[in-house]
Amino acid sequence: MAVLTQVEKTYHLDSVSVPVIKGVDILVRRACFTVLMGPSGSGKTTLLNMIGCIDKPDKGEVIVAGCKVGDLTDDALSDFRAQNIGFIFQNFNLLPVLSAYENIEYPLLLAGSSSKKRGERVPKLLDAVGLGDKAKYFPGQLSGGQRQRVAIARALARKPKLVIADEPTANLDSETGAAILALMRQMVERYAVSFIFSSHDPDVIKAADDTIFLKDGTIHGIRRQGEEDAP
Amino acid sequence: MMTLSLAVRNLLRNRRRSLATLLAMAIGATSILLFGGYSANINYTMHTAYVQKGGHMQIQHRDFYLYGSGNPTAYGIADYPKILAAIQNDEVLRNMVLVATPTLQFGGIAGNYAANVSRTIIGNGFVAEDINHMRRWNDFGLRDVTPMFALEGAPADAAIVGTGVARVLQLCDALKIDRCPKPEKEQKSDGKAMPDDIAQLSLQETPAASGASGISPRRIEVLAGNSRGTPNVTSLEVIRAEDQGFKELDELYVMMHLAQAQQLIYGKSPPKVTSIILQLRHSDQIPAALARMAPILATFSASQPLAVLDFRTLNPFYVQTIQLFDTIFGFIFALIGAIVLFTVSNTMNTAVVERTVEIGTLRAIGLRRAGIRRLFVTEGALLGLCGAVLGVVLALLFSAIVNQLGLTWSAPGTVDALPLMLRVWGETGMIFGTTFGLICIAVLSAWWPAYRAAQLDVVDALRHV
Repeated sequence: MAVLTQVEKTYHLDSVSVPVIKGVDILVRRACFTVLMGPSGSGKTTLLNMIGCIDKPDKGEVIVAGCKVGDLTDDALSDFRAQNIGFIFQNFNLLPVLSAYENIEYPLLLAGSSSKKRGERVPKLLDAVGLGDKAKYFPGQLSGGQRQRVAIARALARKPKLVIADEPTANLDSETGAAILALMRQMVERYAVSFIFSSHDPDVIKAADDTIFLKDGTIHGIRRQGEEDAP
Repeated sequence: MMTLSLAVRNLLRNRRRSLATLLAMAIGATSILLFGGYSANINYTMHTAYVQKGGHMQIQHRDFYLYGSGNPTAYGIADYPKILAAIQNDEVLRNMVLVATPTLQFGGIAGNYAANVSRTIIGNGFVAEDINHMRRWNDFGLRDVTPMFALEGAPADAAIVGTGVARVLQLCDALKIDRCPKPEKEQKSDGKAMPDDIAQLSLQETPAASGASGISPRRIEVLAGNSRGTPNVTSLEVIRAEDQGFKELDELYVMMHLAQAQQLIYGKSPPKVTSIILQLRHSDQIPAALARMAPILATFSASQPLAVLDFRTLNPFYVQTIQLFDTIFGFIFALIGAIVLFTVSNTMNTAVVERTVEIGTLRAIGLRRAGIRRLFVTEGALLGLCGAVLGVVLALLFSAIVNQLGLTWSAPGTVDALPLMLRVWGETGMIFGTTFGLICIAVLSAWWPAYRAAQLDVVDALRHV
């Protein structure tokens, strides 16, 4: 689903250059639940941003859904993201002025989906994340877990090939976090979509198909489900 | 539709800030419109006054406008009844022209020999009925305050003078003019004071002396050079004094019947006039009437070069006043526009900073840079539209209240107390122009913050705290 080859990224802070990704190769498999594990500053978010096509590597190549995204213009990248990638953020990042229903509908409106299609798709997604009765609620009226469910439904609205989730359970209590994790796992199976997300939580590894261990911008190990090659 | 809906909700999200911006714009729009309404009222008042007095256009000898003041009678129009008839018989002009009336202007000297005073004057002969007809013109629906022309129905030797002329000729008492200062006579201080009984006798004697002569205290003599250059005199009975607005004109102006003026200037020779005043039904007919007049005048211009001048050419003061008010209006609009520009710009800049993460989210889920720009520009345009509409409503309300108060004022060059009106209602061009202008300014001021928002790096925007 996504292939990163010899990817490097350095941030320049005033006169100081900080290399955050140092020649990384990653393969994100189709319809798999992939976790990027590592301590803070290991480069998880930077890698997710590059896979999510909102950041570009200084060196190396990123191929997502068969497309070399480095060659795309800004508008083409926007369209590509809208078509192929869903995002789930740590802070949910729902639009506060839109209801749960409208937040999920928004990507479909961007795509120019018909009113009929939207009317069919959004309630299904709301039901799928267990918020069928909260359609008219605004983000401010929902709990953290409910907001993240709306965010998951929004990420899945346009049937993306890949969903990027940056520490989606970090702002939730452990019980809600586990429920969200289970829901994402369920979505992978139900919609055959690839999920890749970052976390420090060792419990998350249990739910993952693939786990990529990062440290200081390099891959420290990869564990496929059933394998035992983790560091 | 999606952008509009989102823009509306974003504006409602921070109601206090949006309301403050709206109020600033609305107060600005109200100020512009109220001044515009005041300015429009001055325009209509002056326009009406000039058209009532001198018509929409005048046919004159080609050189009368530039040189006529030196010797008006040298630029007389012969055969003027034929020109009037040609105008009245023209099938197009007939429907446009309300009044076509001849006038004669001349220079002379007026004297009140009973008081032993005289002064130079500008004499004007009018057809009184036509002048009264002209004074009824009220195309802008102003409250009618113009007094009727007192010469209508008055004797053939009747005259109306400016209050300045009356003052100089010492006619104030006879004409019962209020607030008319009299010259203080020098008192000789040498010798003994006059005994009281003799002083009293003297006071009683003075009016009796003039009355005894049988001459009316309102009678004046007007001396003018006739068309052959020899002096001629006529005696006039002043029936009224009217303030002419400007002191210079007020101390010169004498009006009489046209026949009387022609008798004075032309005697038994064929009479002429110096102008033919044309008053149209509506001011916007001037270009069409001018075009129609050209071939008609050409037939009479073989022996005397004629020209038609519209009231704007004849009254440069009107044009200058309107230009002055237009300039002030433009200055006020620019000033308020600048305030609106900075207010909206500040509001939108704050919104961009506050919603940076939201901008990053929208960009991440696929909204193009142009979509972000469109969103913020739409918010600016909405602020502009709502502020301008609120301003229009406030201006209409405020002007309606002021118009009901019955306040009065005196326009430049006029004497009568005119109703102080703020003409906002009905000024469609001004209302839409102001609304459109403020929306444009609001859009312009939102454009830079919108551009900045669209240029934000997605990752940086998402990281924003």
